[in-house]
Amino acid sequence: MDMMNKFTISASMLLTGFSIVFAVLIFLIFIIWLYGKIITTAQNKAIEKKNAKIKAEVNESKQKPKAVVKKAETPVKEESGLSDEIVAVISAAVYSMYGSTDKVKIKSIKKSGARSAWSNAGVLNNTRPF
Amino acid sequence: MEILERFLKALEGIFTGSGLMTLNWQNYVMIGVACVLFYLAIKKQYEPLLLLPIAFGMLLVNLYPSIMAAPETTLMSAKDCIAAKGTTDGYAVTMIGNVKYYNVPHYGGLFYYLYQGVKLGIYPPLIFLGVGAMTDFGPLIANPKSFILGAAAQIGIFITFIGAIFLGFTDAQAGAIGIIGGADGPTAIYVTTKLAPELLGSIAIAAYSYMALVPIIQPPIMKALTTKKERAVRMEQLRPVSKLEKIIFPIIIVIVISILLPDAAPLVGMLMFGNLIKESGVADRLSKTAQNELMNIITIFLGTTVGATATGTNFLSFDTIKIIVLGLLAFMMGSACGVLFGKIMYKVTGGKVNPLIGSAGVSAVPMAARVSQRVGQEENPGNFLLMHAMGPNVAGVIGSAVAAGVLLNVLK
Repeated sequence: MDMMNKFTISASMLLTGFSIVFAVLIFLIFIIWLYGKIITTAQNKAIEKKNAKIKAEVNESKQKPKAVVKKAETPVKEESGLSDEIVAVISAAVYSMYGSTDKVKIKSIKKSGARSAWSNAGVLNNTRPF
Repeated sequence: MEILERFLKALEGIFTGSGLMTLNWQNYVMIGVACVLFYLAIKKQYEPLLLLPIAFGMLLVNLYPSIMAAPETTLMSAKDCIAAKGTTDGYAVTMIGNVKYYNVPHYGGLFYYLYQGVKLGIYPPLIFLGVGAMTDFGPLIANPKSFILGAAAQIGIFITFIGAIFLGFTDAQAGAIGIIGGADGPTAIYVTTKLAPELLGSIAIAAYSYMALVPIIQPPIMKALTTKKERAVRMEQLRPVSKLEKIIFPIIIVIVISILLPDAAPLVGMLMFGNLIKESGVADRLSKTAQNELMNIITIFLGTTVGATATGTNFLSFDTIKIIVLGLLAFMMGSACGVLFGKIMYKVTGGKVNPLIGSAGVSAVPMAARVSQRVGQEENPGNFLLMHAMGPNVAGVIGSAVAAGVLLNVLK
């Protein structure tokens, strides 16, 4: 392979590789952004619908003062074994992450079905070499 | 007297067949290299899950080269066959002229058969299946711009390709060497088996060694290319990603990449299949098997057989030294390009992106992301970049598979 040949192969590979990798991944950005937008909009609409339904129920129950007090005081669905202190701590953590309570509303607190901390540590350990 | 004669003959046979007579100096050097790798894996804990099987494969093949021997068939006359095997029954017959010859098979060594999974490109996609089942693409879905950093870190692959061409490698070999810069072991092995199988041992060992050295190689590059102010940037919390988005993600990725770059389909397809069985939540058993048992079994087979390709005559050459130097260059270039693109994103977003997450675009999941986190915390102890760095990190896995698809398509 002479110098000119080497230069041609190198330049064409750099150009091809660079442009294709970027083009494919930028296309993926667009696709993910698009479907993320669609799903978020659809889910927000569903949440809004749900909120409207709850609001309507609250308005209805305004005629029954006892029920109003109960719902207003406990907006968070309490799971068995979840004390007010725990709810307060989780709310504080959420507040500290978001920095404001304007857009955040805790509706329920429940244990996630995700991995335990030990399981997570195991997975992390297994993924290290790859 | 006859007993003594037979005894001495047996001793002579054992001695001439022993390693003392059959091994050459290169084998002994490689046994030493294997021992150094044992030390690094056990004492220093550098990638022990892979380095240990690789080192053991290397040790065994240099002690007993026939463990990688291919099967063959010898044609024997009836007389020779009876002398060697005691019978001619059960052997296929070949007629040459009017003479009958018996096909006496000699089976291959253990690693020869296990190596077929590497040679035929079976193990790397299966490893990707397990990686997919362990990976959370949430940070990437929440911030798809991370793909830019995942793409930027692949530039090292193509720049190293140029270096390899000018150092005298063929274009296919240069492509296989360049892929070390992707910092993705299975991808490096997959591409090398297709483009330059003769370099597999050196490339696999270089790739895994540099992945193990990520915490040492990357921080100086990251610090040299960024200012104190840039490193201290605190990034905004990522938006939560719904389960539906996570389920759709692997399906979309596999469709798009397989249509655009079919050569990347085996790697990306298995990566996304693994991720789908995890995220769907309906195939928990499959997900657990892919993450644990299957992954571990394939790791053992892949590691030992890749190590077994590093025989003395193959490995101890000037080409290996060139590959090790070029691999390091590829890795450093990839990390540097990631950080530089991170800096561009920092400028474009008005200081909202910490450029340190760019170096995580070189795959090496999740170690490269941990390095971004660590270097960021050195500047600002209250800074948590890990989840932000995981975006480019998993984008790098997809990016290196795409780069592999490009190399295979152009050079195969």
